[in-house]
Amino acid sequence: MTRQRFILLTLAPALTVLGLLAAVSTAGAVWFSLMNRVLGSPDYEFVGLYNYLRLLRDKRFFNALEISLIWELITVAGTLVVAVLLAVLVHETVKRALWRNLICFAFLAPVLLPRVAAAFIWRFLYSPSLGLLNWIVGEAGLGPVEFLANPSLALVSVAVVDIWQWGLFFTVILVKLLETMPRDPIEAAMLDNARTWQIHAYVTLPMLKGPLISLALVKAVESLRSFDLIFVMTGGGPGTATETLDLYAYQSGINLGGRVSYASAMSILLLIVTTVAFTLIWRASRKWSR
Amino acid sequence: MAHIECSGIVKSYGAHPVIDGLNLMIPDHEFVVFLGPSGCGKSTMLRMIAGLEEVTAGRISIGGADVTNRHPGQRGVAMVFQSYALYPHMTVADNITFGLRRAGVPGPEIDRRLGEVARMLGLEPMLNRKPKAMSGGQQQRVAMARAMIKTPKVFLFDEPLSNLDAKLREKLRTEIRKMHNSLKTTTIFVTHDQLEAMTIADRIVLMRAGAIEQQGTPDEIFDRPATRFVADFIGSPSMNFRLGRIERGAAVAGSVRIPLPPGRFAVAEGQEVELGLRPTRMERVSPGAEGAITGRVSLIENMGAEGQIIAEVDGADMSFVTRDFRGLSIGDPVSFALSPDHLHIFDRATGRSCLA
Repeated sequence: MTRQRFILLTLAPALTVLGLLAAVSTAGAVWFSLMNRVLGSPDYEFVGLYNYLRLLRDKRFFNALEISLIWELITVAGTLVVAVLLAVLVHETVKRALWRNLICFAFLAPVLLPRVAAAFIWRFLYSPSLGLLNWIVGEAGLGPVEFLANPSLALVSVAVVDIWQWGLFFTVILVKLLETMPRDPIEAAMLDNARTWQIHAYVTLPMLKGPLISLALVKAVESLRSFDLIFVMTGGGPGTATETLDLYAYQSGINLGGRVSYASAMSILLLIVTTVAFTLIWRASRKWSR
Repeated sequence: MAHIECSGIVKSYGAHPVIDGLNLMIPDHEFVVFLGPSGCGKSTMLRMIAGLEEVTAGRISIGGADVTNRHPGQRGVAMVFQSYALYPHMTVADNITFGLRRAGVPGPEIDRRLGEVARMLGLEPMLNRKPKAMSGGQQQRVAMARAMIKTPKVFLFDEPLSNLDAKLREKLRTEIRKMHNSLKTTTIFVTHDQLEAMTIADRIVLMRAGAIEQQGTPDEIFDRPATRFVADFIGSPSMNFRLGRIERGAAVAGSVRIPLPPGRFAVAEGQEVELGLRPTRMERVSPGAEGAITGRVSLIENMGAEGQIIAEVDGADMSFVTRDFRGLSIGDPVSFALSPDHLHIFDRATGRSCLA
């Protein structure tokens, strides 16, 4: 009984803050989504599920849904692949503790940058006329590449920045995890005549399956909140090539027509979709990591 | 199958050598135990033979081939670790066959050999289990199966029984020895447990501070220890030591006076020595008998069939083992004597045995 009370008491402050911040605003959004409010006018009326029904006929909404999904896949997969490859490379080639720590420190730097700062740095790097990347591409004789203005490159170009920030950060985590792994199974694999890449593919990485799945989930949640990065780099453009759901919601609710009710409906739908999706992924991942 | 030759082995961490110029020859089919206190370099030696530890200087050859710079997987050795070192995410079958699959052995051949070792070690019912669902003894059997299936030239055991309870340790010890009797594969077994070493070895290599202190059969090591260190390390209960000197054909230490068998020791009259008396080589005698040691019982340890008596002799404890202990109680006077062929005499300065 006292233990239960202790749990309740310690949880109470966090739950109160969460309740005030999340529940109130979510309830507000649900309330808004049932009206036809616009920012320009004080008049509104109750329209029921009209906004939701209109969303189902909105091609731009489905485009944004698709971009969000692609964004999730590219950034989560990209981050993990980069982190795994780099971590194994560092683990196998850099043996001195001093160099390792320096590399880890350098790899931590990008994620410490505010998103907006990272976005501006890369926008400059990507610039067709002034950017370093285009100068290199130009020297190679490939002419200027419109990294952010080309609809088929823009999303990947922005994702590279996200992977640069998070992939390097996860590399540091994985290097540390590899360091703390028991040596014996690795040595047993060496005696079993496994090559270095086989040791990692068949022994160390499967042993790190649990942490890898956790990292993937963390990154998946984090990738949902990439509004600032995309907004600064492309603003959702060119056209709607990089317009994720949160960008579209912002564009339609605040920036363009100020249709706050419509944007609220979109946010609520996004909330439901992500909650359902993550519940399913969470359940499945608990089964995999066993 | 192969003999192992280590010549001039040096291993240093930084400037500090832990093994300095060690030479060792292990003939084909032999079961050798590296024995010694922790930190004596026995595990380092084993790991260098396995290739898990680099050799600072010197040469290691297995079956006549120089393997000093070969990858561990290319040396034809299989190793069993103290921690079992199983791959935790793989089933027992996958654990055992991992090495064969890396070597590209065809599937049907792998299945045949898996069936063989699983039957030999009684692992058939658990081939699909994961290691964490198994007891320590079962896990160590899997580790042994993983080593055996490769039919290596050399088996290496790095304190494989230390994590098991006493009963299981005894059982697996017997199994390992039986396995060697049937396979005849050259084996090196590292342990700090002298009883384990005595029971399992063809030959014991006793190490101390990175050097070989003595090597020989268990009998040689037990009955003819070359140094005081060996005599002290081997045997349970451990040997009694007394400072004494040689006087008129006898070794004398306080009231203890043991006549020397002629020609057995190379000692001079008046030489300062240290006497070693094995508790298990002493027996109760009537007071006043030849060479009798008399003391007062200060403790009796009942070990079932035998008892260890700790008696106070000249103000210090001396222990001996006897079957005839049940009539004694603390404070009783007791007389006992060493069987004359089992006296050990060590030079006080060098610690070396004075056996001729």
